[in-house]
Amino acid sequence: MIPAAVLNEWYPVAMIAQLAAWPGRQTLLLGSEINVFRDAAGAVVVQGADGPLAVTLAYGHVWACPGVPAHPLFPIPEADQPGRRLVDCGVVRVKCSPLRAVENFLDIAHFPFVHTDVLGAEPHTEVGRYEVQIREDSDEVWATKVHFYQPQAAKSAAGGIVTEYMYRVAAPTASVLYKTCPNNADEWDVIAIFVQPLTEELCEVWPWMALFDDTTPQADLIQFQQMIFLQDRSILENQIPRLLPLDPGKEIPTQADLTSIAYRRWLKRKGLTYGAQMVAA
Amino acid sequence: MWVANGLSQDLPSGVVMAGNWQGAELAIWRSVSGRLAAWGDRCPHRGMRLSHGFVRGETLSCIYHGWTYGSDGACSKIPAHPTMVPPAAIKAEVYQCVEADGVIWVGPAGPEADLPDLSGMVAVRSVSVLGDVAALTRALPGFVADGALWRGQVGGVSVSLVVQARGAGLGLHALCGAAAHRVAVSRWLDGVVQLVEQEALT
Amino acid sequence: MKLYDYVLSASCYKVRLMAALLGEKLSTEAVDFHPGRAHRSREFRALNPAGTLPVLVDGGLILTESTAMLVYLAQRAGKVWLGDGSPVQAAQVQQWLAFSARLGGSLGMARLHDMLLYAGDIDALRRAGVAALRELESHLTEARFDGRIFLTGTTPTIADIACFPNVALAPDGGVSLDDYPSIRLWSRAIRALPGFIEMPGIHRLHELKPAPEAVPPLEALL
Repeated sequence: MIPAAVLNEWYPVAMIAQLAAWPGRQTLLLGSEINVFRDAAGAVVVQGADGPLAVTLAYGHVWACPGVPAHPLFPIPEADQPGRRLVDCGVVRVKCSPLRAVENFLDIAHFPFVHTDVLGAEPHTEVGRYEVQIREDSDEVWATKVHFYQPQAAKSAAGGIVTEYMYRVAAPTASVLYKTCPNNADEWDVIAIFVQPLTEELCEVWPWMALFDDTTPQADLIQFQQMIFLQDRSILENQIPRLLPLDPGKEIPTQADLTSIAYRRWLKRKGLTYGAQMVAA
Repeated sequence: MWVANGLSQDLPSGVVMAGNWQGAELAIWRSVSGRLAAWGDRCPHRGMRLSHGFVRGETLSCIYHGWTYGSDGACSKIPAHPTMVPPAAIKAEVYQCVEADGVIWVGPAGPEADLPDLSGMVAVRSVSVLGDVAALTRALPGFVADGALWRGQVGGVSVSLVVQARGAGLGLHALCGAAAHRVAVSRWLDGVVQLVEQEALT
Repeated sequence: MKLYDYVLSASCYKVRLMAALLGEKLSTEAVDFHPGRAHRSREFRALNPAGTLPVLVDGGLILTESTAMLVYLAQRAGKVWLGDGSPVQAAQVQQWLAFSARLGGSLGMARLHDMLLYAGDIDALRRAGVAALRELESHLTEARFDGRIFLTGTTPTIADIACFPNVALAPDGGVSLDDYPSIRLWSRAIRALPGFIEMPGIHRLHELKPAPEAVPPLEALL
């Protein structure tokens, strides 16, 4: 039985630009088969075995709710900000828990070892103190004042800089990060991952960006993001257990993992246990 | 019990590889000075396989966050907190690991448990095969099994196979009587793998 | 020289890797292979009618097969990477270049299936991939008996570079490399070559650098 709390959330299921007529995209959501397609009138339909699912179109993607939506889809105000380029990066399948994919996105300490010479490099491995909170008004997890030394923080970054990040868990399988924008000191680059839970141990990940960058060709922006995410993929497929442990004891966090600790606590409190392991095995 | 986990020649200094002890997944590695160790294949931090990690000097580090473990399994460095001394509780799961006559063995094993005598034999290679002991028995008529050690003759050459249960199949660690016969035994072993997999289907 | 490139393509990586090992500067142009399928566009097919990546352009020369690109780069750079020129080694290099196509058609396709949702009979692709890995393992094991670590000798050739990417990326397609000790050591030998570059799915050998010295705290850099 999948808990109602899980069913009543929004999940990404397709890229709007890739929609086709029936049968469209045949895929899984929370273990159930769905078709994502445009009907004869051009409307977007997410068809499950028991009928159509609630649908929202936002941030280049189709979002579906298999239950009764507990709330509207989370906002990303930057998506409507003039001057930003919105970039759909396509889908990548990963044999891992959708929650592990999100947790990895929230993690910076792995940059020097997994994204070597791009997002991090020895000897600059330190993660300083940062602030984490579960915001009660928006019901989101936020990490702020996260700093890290990076050799090449973005496609448009020329050399090493200390980058500042903010991280935000906006839905159980969607996270948005804000990072120092190399082209515009007053703004943040926005990078998100939208994770579609196919099963508890299989997911498809849709990176998406909203950047201030008028010059870098689209293909370069996409490939930079794909390069970063695919460097993570071999990690995600080799974590044991596959399910994300929500109870303390099975894995040992440190101060650098405060975002992950808050994410796990938030999931547990809300009963968002799809892809999670509740009892330390 | 001691379980064979490969040949010494396949694990030079500074290398880590995956292993298996009765279903438990392992990271087996050799330090730069030659010290051998077998640990549970899991970094206590985030569960990443340590067999994907890297060896520097006398330590093994996890590829995910660089957490570094000394030969006793204790975490000695957490790169995200360079000045912190890691708590003693952060420790890899340590197995017994020894090598004798060119074969790497992993325990727990009682002190009375002796390793088979393979002295005088020359290591050939390790292969894996999808099949069980019954299929191996049918594929190797004339071989005599004593526990994990199977002995026989191949074209006048004495051959020893140390058999390891490994996931859905078997690991076969082969040794032979003389270095000059290694190529012949290696090719014979390719045939054994095919035969066992055919037998396993019947 | 200009390479039309896709960062996740094993075949594009062969060419980037060969150029890096030779110290040859390539200018690359990213082609939106996924999700844009720009390699199938009419514009791109004007360059390469087959609609495949990579494409290497040098003046009037347009190459669309990665093994030909390896030959071109190696030939220009003094032929060291083509083997010793003996009939035996020349033939062996060709043998493994042809074999590399089998790796692409099995392990490479399994990877595209598992990672980028390509259609295919995944069990058949993985079986064919395992069969190819076993052949490679047997060959490299015999080579090690003779003290050779690379495919055709004690020094690497374009044959090693042609085979390495789809082998090293096999786990991306659900094929484990744990059972192949000689492939492991061969792969490490390639990854340790001066000038070696990674691609996503192939991690840096961090052990090639010593453990880092202490640096000032991050606070001091803010």
